[in-house]
Amino acid sequence: MPMNNTMNSGHSGARSLVVWDPLVRLIHWSLALSILLNGVVVDEDGNLHKWIGYVAVGLVGVRFVWGAVGTKYARFSVFPLNPVAALKHLTAILKGVDTVHLSHNPLGALMVYNIWATVIVIGLTGYMMGTIRFFGIEWVEKAHEIAFSWLLVSIALHVGGVIFDTWRSGVPLVRAMINGRKRIPKDRTVN
Amino acid sequence: MIERLFPIIKRERRATVLAVIIILQALCAMFFLADVIIDLSEGGHLDDIHLVFEGVAALALICGVVYLMYELRDLLSRMEAMDVGIRAARGEMTTLIDVFFDQWQLTPSEREIAQFILKGISNEAIAQMRGTAPSTVRAQCTRIYQKAEVDGRAQLLSVFMEELFHAGEAVGKHI
Repeated sequence: MPMNNTMNSGHSGARSLVVWDPLVRLIHWSLALSILLNGVVVDEDGNLHKWIGYVAVGLVGVRFVWGAVGTKYARFSVFPLNPVAALKHLTAILKGVDTVHLSHNPLGALMVYNIWATVIVIGLTGYMMGTIRFFGIEWVEKAHEIAFSWLLVSIALHVGGVIFDTWRSGVPLVRAMINGRKRIPKDRTVN
Repeated sequence: MIERLFPIIKRERRATVLAVIIILQALCAMFFLADVIIDLSEGGHLDDIHLVFEGVAALALICGVVYLMYELRDLLSRMEAMDVGIRAARGEMTTLIDVFFDQWQLTPSEREIAQFILKGISNEAIAQMRGTAPSTVRAQCTRIYQKAEVDGRAQLLSVFMEELFHAGEAVGKHI
């Protein structure tokens, strides 16, 4: 009876799983590009700024529909907005637990929803600034600027989180967002 | 890194094209929808033939986007099934087993037991090897079957047998 095999015979090094579908990746990088363009490159009083803003909100809109009908790991149901779970995840990190999440980890999920909401607020206030009713009203402009500052903070945290989690979990996350595959090191449990 | 990414991108060309079209069409749909809404709010009437056409175009675009999303999901799941089949045919069964275990989110001890099950070892023998009570192993088996959505030992094996049977078919069909 072949029962003397080692228990780890199934672990043949790292394994890779398809996680992010092309639509998720395209939306991610297009949104990043539109934020970069509108925040840094394009003149903020120009027409182009407005159109890029509409595109950014549209991208988030498409992602919302895809979150409802999309592929397994793109759905809202696999990364629910759950601050309690995020807190638990944080304490697990501090304890040194190194499980791998196939979709967003609970902390990452919080950031994802935060960034989407912020983009929508920026888009909405930006649109309001161009309407007759709200034109020149100070709080709208203030809200637009504050939301953008918050977006910058969020992006810094997001990039920091990606770097930290790549180091912690051993899964190259940036590459996963490019080719869609998470490369999971051997002997890591998936959660 | 680019060389390693390239074959994957090539293989996913159809899905990527579909995703690009979905995004562009969704943005167009938004544009037309906003145009119709603004026209209506500015005193346009539905008996204006121009507005009707715009409305129908917006509706058609939205339906198209949702339809293409379902198509994309379908295409991606077929590609994944094909990938599994090809790996099984190549004899990469151990990798495949790992991937299935990941998807079922088995714990390390459940993984070990599931591997023993696939090797045809009885629950009593597994308990003996792991130095636990047979009842513990039985409970763990139940959880494995739940996670894999199968009824028991035989069906768990059949998950992998099925991949082997369909492997040749999948390879033949898609080349």
